[in-house]
Amino acid sequence: MGVGQAIRYWFMKEVGAPALMRLQKGRKGRRRRPRPHLGPPLSSASRLREIMTRHYFLARYAKGARPVAWVSSGAPVELLRVFDFYTVYPENHGALCGAQKMGQEICQEAEKKGYHHDLCSYARIDLGHAFSGKTPVGRLPKPDLLFCSNNICQTILYWFKELSHYWNIPLILFDTPYNFQEIKGSDIQYMVEQLEAMVPRLEAISGRKYSDSRLKGVLTLAKETSELWGRILATLKARPAPMSIFDAFVHLAPVVSLRGLPVSRQYYQLLLQELQERVKKGISAIKHEKRRLMWDNIAVWFKLRDWSHLFAERGCNFVAATYTNAWAETIHYLDPSKPFESMARAYSFVILNNNLKHRLNLMREMIRDYQIDGLVIHSDRSCKPYSVGQYDMGRILAQDLGVKTVVIEADMTDSRMFSEEQVRTRLEAFFESLGH
Amino acid sequence: MRGRVPDRLTYLLEQKEKGRAVFGVFPALCPKEMLWAMGVVPAEIWDPPLELVKVNSHLQPYICSVVRSGMELVLQGKSDFLDGFLFPHTCDSIQNMASVIKDCMGPEKPCYFFYLPKAPYTEAARTYYLTKLQELAGSLEKQLGGFDQERLGECVRLSNRISSLIEKLYAMRAKGRLRGTSRSFYQLLRKGEHLMPEDLIPLLEQYLTQNTLSEPKGSSGVIFSGILPNPLELLDVLDQLGTRVVHDDLLNCGRRLLAPKMDTTIGPLEALAERYFHLPPCPTKGSGVQERLDFLLDLVKKTDAKGIIFNMVKFCEPEWFDLPFIQKGLKDHGVPTLVLDMEINQDLSAQMITRVEAFLELIS
Ligand code: SF4
Ligand code: SF4
Repeated sequence: MGVGQAIRYWFMKEVGAPALMRLQKGRKGRRRRPRPHLGPPLSSASRLREIMTRHYFLARYAKGARPVAWVSSGAPVELLRVFDFYTVYPENHGALCGAQKMGQEICQEAEKKGYHHDLCSYARIDLGHAFSGKTPVGRLPKPDLLFCSNNICQTILYWFKELSHYWNIPLILFDTPYNFQEIKGSDIQYMVEQLEAMVPRLEAISGRKYSDSRLKGVLTLAKETSELWGRILATLKARPAPMSIFDAFVHLAPVVSLRGLPVSRQYYQLLLQELQERVKKGISAIKHEKRRLMWDNIAVWFKLRDWSHLFAERGCNFVAATYTNAWAETIHYLDPSKPFESMARAYSFVILNNNLKHRLNLMREMIRDYQIDGLVIHSDRSCKPYSVGQYDMGRILAQDLGVKTVVIEADMTDSRMFSEEQVRTRLEAFFESLGH
Repeated sequence: MRGRVPDRLTYLLEQKEKGRAVFGVFPALCPKEMLWAMGVVPAEIWDPPLELVKVNSHLQPYICSVVRSGMELVLQGKSDFLDGFLFPHTCDSIQNMASVIKDCMGPEKPCYFFYLPKAPYTEAARTYYLTKLQELAGSLEKQLGGFDQERLGECVRLSNRISSLIEKLYAMRAKGRLRGTSRSFYQLLRKGEHLMPEDLIPLLEQYLTQNTLSEPKGSSGVIFSGILPNPLELLDVLDQLGTRVVHDDLLNCGRRLLAPKMDTTIGPLEALAERYFHLPPCPTKGSGVQERLDFLLDLVKKTDAKGIIFNMVKFCEPEWFDLPFIQKGLKDHGVPTLVLDMEINQDLSAQMITRVEAFLELIS
């Protein structure tokens, strides 16, 4: 690591970032779109903006000062924290590009190099960024390490393999056997051995020593953060719900990409407090919550804003989502007294590494607990592990629980794969079936 | 079984009459020897030639045609005579389809799953694969009765015999010393997707004896890469234009049929486990881009191929992700490539034929 880069990073952390935050605070708020059907916005949102801006701002200066890793959303990042890696989440970056409506443009950079437009759009955004440098966040640091787990999909491995080849940098895979029927002792053993084998490699790449007590500390922090996230989501059981899932999609960022760092726990303490207050005072996410909905699959980032208004206008609030729930569902397995084994459990039982029977049961439970009237199934062209099986599951849930369902064909970031008209027609029919 | 063999369905039904169980096995890599040893006939399901109708209400159009047609087969009841399914862990789509079949459609037959460790491998992967083999043997035993290591050893030897015959067939073909069209060559290889070794071995031997040429009869050649040697009409076009498929990098063929011989001096399970880690590189296993590129360049060198045709299945993520860097690497080494974007049972369009012709002209 270079001394110059270390000094620059330190300066930016201590002086540059706080100055930027002050500047942001001082700036007049963007002209807000009128919110005739939405409740008052969450005041924690400004703190979230600060945290994420700071994270991406410092990322620009991290290279050379700290080891840098690009990490997949389902990878056991806790282990990297022990070695002080600066971690960047390409999926989070992809979501950001999607929300800022830059998805299509950056995807096309990858397509120019021959990547087929049928491939996962997060991957195309990331590769497009790697080839062109295009990003709404200024600059991402080139990684020293690629760290992924196929507990979310096999696609992530294909994608990270390309980056590893392009930059000639190491790729570490945490290979998590799919839970078709049960995760056996042999599967856990396999995962534990992989985690153990990562330690010397991470020491070599980062130039830092492993510390057992540090890992335990990080695991405790991550567990508490995820538990807080779970409690935050549970506040949406209240009628009316104090926040919508469209908000949760955004507020998810710290538990995904800053997990295991104090800032994420602090943030969720703040958010939880605000939501509890709102519940007490009966402050609702939308003005007239008449129907409660559940969302399945990743968000359609470029429609988030429009749809929060559209659904609110119809008195529909999303109060649960399998996607946001994923970062609260299995983390309770983390146990600092058995760090490796518990990481193997926590990471292999995640929703996308689990069979559909499990997913059906989970959805049934959520529909019951959150008093769901309707289910919106986003059939995400990019994401096969999330989407294959949705048609059957939707039918089963509708039959068993009488919940209204609608399937919308879309993509999380690539707006070219989206037919406004077709989706609108389906949604209108859905609203009608809900009694509007 | 010399000479003619019955068609696939008749063969499988005959096997059932003989008292054997028949399993539907989805792509791609699985220890078939284990099934043979348990008296099970593995009937692989890659590209059943069906009109895709029922599957449309179960799977989205953006799922590959291998998975969609496999599920169509199940939905049309054409797999009802099977005694079980085996799903190797090949990709996201197969993984979820397996779960749809087991958890949502609930067939009244056993469903087995076989997880394959992914590269980059750690030391733990080898032990793990071996354990998975033992566990598979254990669960098959519950359905089918006694698992016999000795019988497995025999099946490993039979499998070695098949591998050496196939290796020889490929080698002779590459040298131009094998008569016969690309269509007949691949039709022969694909018989292995349902024939038991005692029926496959004589067929391979017969083909070799009947078609070996004493002198090489050269024509320019190409390598096929992708999933399947489909459609057969594509092979016909190549034959008609005087171009042989001299070798392949197909998941369905070379990437698994050209397995190194298994060591018969060690336990059969250990031998099976070792083989997995010595198969040619494949993106479904997570093989690195450079490893695949080196493999292809070596294949080009060994066979003197004039170019590579990437016969891609639409929506097949493992294959499509690797393509740009592989193509670039090949181009840097002066190897021309052609990419075809196909559904597995798609008819060859005039436009596609023109593209193939133009490519062959370029490389000739
Ligand atoms: S395939 Fe799905 S889970 Fe995998 S990276 Fe893409 S969006 Fe994420
Ligand atoms: S063609 Fe590709 S995506 Fe389809 S089953 Fe085979 S490996 Fe999977």
